[in-house]
Amino acid sequence: MSRPALDVLIVEDEMLLAIELEHLIEEAGCHPLGCAMSSQEAVALAEQLKPDLALVDVHLSDGPTGVDVARKIADDCGGVALFMTANVKRLPDDFAGACGVIGKPYSEHGVKTALAYLAVCLTEGRAPGPVPVGLTLAPAYAERWAAEDPLSKSA
Amino acid sequence: MEDYSEFRRLGDELAAGQGVGDPFAAAIKATRMAMIVTDATRDDNPIIFANDAFLRLTGYSRDEVIGRNCRFLQGPETDREAAGAVRDAVAAGEDIAMDLLNYRKDGSPFWNALYLSPVRDDNGKIVYFFGSQIDVSDKKAIEFRARDRSESLQQMVDERTRELTQALEQKTALLHEVDHRVKNNLQLISSLLLLQNRRVPDPAVKASLKGMLGRVNAIATVHRRLFQSEDVERFDVSAFIRDMVADLMGSAMRDDIRVELDLERVEIPAAKAAPFALVVNELLTNALRHGFPEGRGGRIFVGVSRLNGDFRIEISDDGVGPNKKTSTSGFGLTIVQLLCQQLKAKCETTDAEPGTRVVVLLPVNGAH
Repeated sequence: MSRPALDVLIVEDEMLLAIELEHLIEEAGCHPLGCAMSSQEAVALAEQLKPDLALVDVHLSDGPTGVDVARKIADDCGGVALFMTANVKRLPDDFAGACGVIGKPYSEHGVKTALAYLAVCLTEGRAPGPVPVGLTLAPAYAERWAAEDPLSKSA
Repeated sequence: MEDYSEFRRLGDELAAGQGVGDPFAAAIKATRMAMIVTDATRDDNPIIFANDAFLRLTGYSRDEVIGRNCRFLQGPETDREAAGAVRDAVAAGEDIAMDLLNYRKDGSPFWNALYLSPVRDDNGKIVYFFGSQIDVSDKKAIEFRARDRSESLQQMVDERTRELTQALEQKTALLHEVDHRVKNNLQLISSLLLLQNRRVPDPAVKASLKGMLGRVNAIATVHRRLFQSEDVERFDVSAFIRDMVADLMGSAMRDDIRVELDLERVEIPAAKAAPFALVVNELLTNALRHGFPEGRGGRIFVGVSRLNGDFRIEISDDGVGPNKKTSTSGFGLTIVQLLCQQLKAKCETTDAEPGTRVVVLLPVNGAH
């Protein structure tokens, strides 16, 4: 398990969630870069720090701007966004260029497993196995990483 | 242009041809139904005969009518298409029945149920057209009123439908908003517990916090599942247990314990989902924590099936049996007892030799 640690940016306006996420990111063997609470802050930090992965809430301190943040990170910053939201159904069909979503409320284990899984996907370019519970991949990324849909097996 | 007396003479000849005492001619002259005859052999099909009823209906005198094509009855509001259809039928030599808006001499409109039909001579050549007219203004008025009423009814229905659709949209938006808040607050609660757990050094306090975190997570898993399906009233038990087991086993980090699932697809009312989830969480946690002390591996089985009007949920392990367990989670068992009482469910713990078997019987509808 000696993979280069992912640099992860947190985009979340709820302070307690952001702090706890930092711990989870570290425990998952990744490297937290910092936390942005608004869309401007998020884009500025993403441009400056060039994260491998950005965990993006849809509702930020300046409104439901997370979708735009994700698109900007995907288009302009060379990073990959992952949504973390309670409103999974409201995401655009193309996930705004993000690689997937973790639905809130997530569990400690759910986030850690998802991060470990995405670390492999991002560094090796393909999925290490079926998508873990709690994580949903965007169709484009599921195809790119040849990820197995767990539902097709367990149905 | 031939003059009036010429056409009048033609009409008279027509009548005379039937014989002076002809009862048919007398009937046509005297009937209350307006009738005309036109000469199809003449240019522009002029009227050569009009009975008194026709003159009464239209308000014209006989010399104002004879020799003219009957289109003089049309006016500004007459439907051009309907008038065209009459013209086409005449040109084609066919019968036609048509409701036309016509005008009297004084300019007042009336609805004319016109019937026109060609009259042929012995060689089959059309020589006359016979026309009858009935004033159907009253009938038309009723028809129009009915149409207006149904249009205004339709309008009211449309408006009401629009209002209801809007109300439904608002309600759905509100539901989403509340759902969103519930999920975010659950996330906040679990983050609070996790954060405090990181801070406290006391293992007993840590264990309590972990226990509460597990319970909050169970409720969180319910809410994540609840609105995933289209039916917000029902809750998929098997899908929930699958999520729950993945999460519990993942965070337990006990590779030496194997979990077997045998889950039939079963749904319960959404209102029962949270207490049910808490019961399953306690039983699973119990099996995991107290059935298998450090160093002892084994297997946990979770089964969901239907049994005589009950849902049967079995959670069994091959760890230390129920009598040898050093159970410290008195609170967990209290939760199970209380919630089973609330769900009107029966919970039975037996020695599985080796291990423990807990069976919960949850009535599908109502009580036992």
